[in-house]
Amino acid sequence: MSKSDQSLDERLQEYVNAAVQSPPGPPTRDPVNRPMIHHWCDAIGDTNPIYIDEELAAQSVHGGIVAPPTMLQAWGMGGLRGRGPSLPEHARAPAQVGDRDPGPVALLHEAGFTSVVATDCEQEYKRYLRPGDVLRVGGGLEAISGEKETALGNGHFVTNKTTYWDQHDEVVAEMRFRVLWFKPRQRGGE
Amino acid sequence: MKTLLPTRSFDDVNVGDELPELVIELTPTVIVSTAIASRDYQDVHHDRDLAQKKGSKDIFMNILSSNGFVGRYITDWTGPNAVLRSVKIRLGAPNYSYDTMRMTGVVESKEMVDGEGRVEIKIRGANQLGDHVKGTIDLVLPTDGAAP
Repeated sequence: MSKSDQSLDERLQEYVNAAVQSPPGPPTRDPVNRPMIHHWCDAIGDTNPIYIDEELAAQSVHGGIVAPPTMLQAWGMGGLRGRGPSLPEHARAPAQVGDRDPGPVALLHEAGFTSVVATDCEQEYKRYLRPGDVLRVGGGLEAISGEKETALGNGHFVTNKTTYWDQHDEVVAEMRFRVLWFKPRQRGGE
Repeated sequence: MKTLLPTRSFDDVNVGDELPELVIELTPTVIVSTAIASRDYQDVHHDRDLAQKKGSKDIFMNILSSNGFVGRYITDWTGPNAVLRSVKIRLGAPNYSYDTMRMTGVVESKEMVDGEGRVEIKIRGANQLGDHVKGTIDLVLPTDGAAP
């Protein structure tokens, strides 16, 4: 059966079947650090002293400063210039996915599913992160749904799994991130 | 010397307990500062002109920050010694600038597992368009008699 005879779903599932969870990449741009924790807590309005106050954090179950657990994903973000190893899949333009093999996102684009929105995020924390922890990130495609009708328009849900390792090669956290690639509804003409 | 505030005890928490509402005014400063603090520079989170060109009515909160507000909401209620084990969220209506998000939550279950006081909390954060976020948080609370 030639590629052109296959349905979009079949071609997408080939990517899911062939997907491998990549091993830990290079360390993220910065280790876990207090300035980034401060920016985060200021912006979120989080005054939990275990993140910001050395004296009080020392009295906590952690025995010292820790990073907010829900800050997990921030440590692997590429930043303004896209530096760092872990620009998330949902933020990649199709051309960045690979030249020889366009990848499932390019297939979705070709089929008209050109808009993307994040729908679910599930994070599991094995331990809290501490300033100085050096993280490495790996993972990959885990699932692609068939075409679904949604409030935004018809689309496919794409689930990626991300694993975070520390400097001792221990897994410290896992994350499942789901996005919807959809065909935007035509705006009603008035 | 400063003293760490107490943490809600597993023994004092009951299924059905409601968390007090937390109201977040979604100013442009909140939307932009949280996006940048999470190192997410996608333009729809900080540039209203581009966000509108792409079909949004304004800039809107990124998912990393939604996670952050969920984490804050939980530990604002529990106190500092709660240990979060997992946070699972589903996103709905965007948190556009100039809207307000009202966060509510309820204790869904509690159970001693391997000597730990495990609690599951369900939360939602609603704005004027509907539910921005719904989530389930698993955490460990100290038990009476356990230090500290």
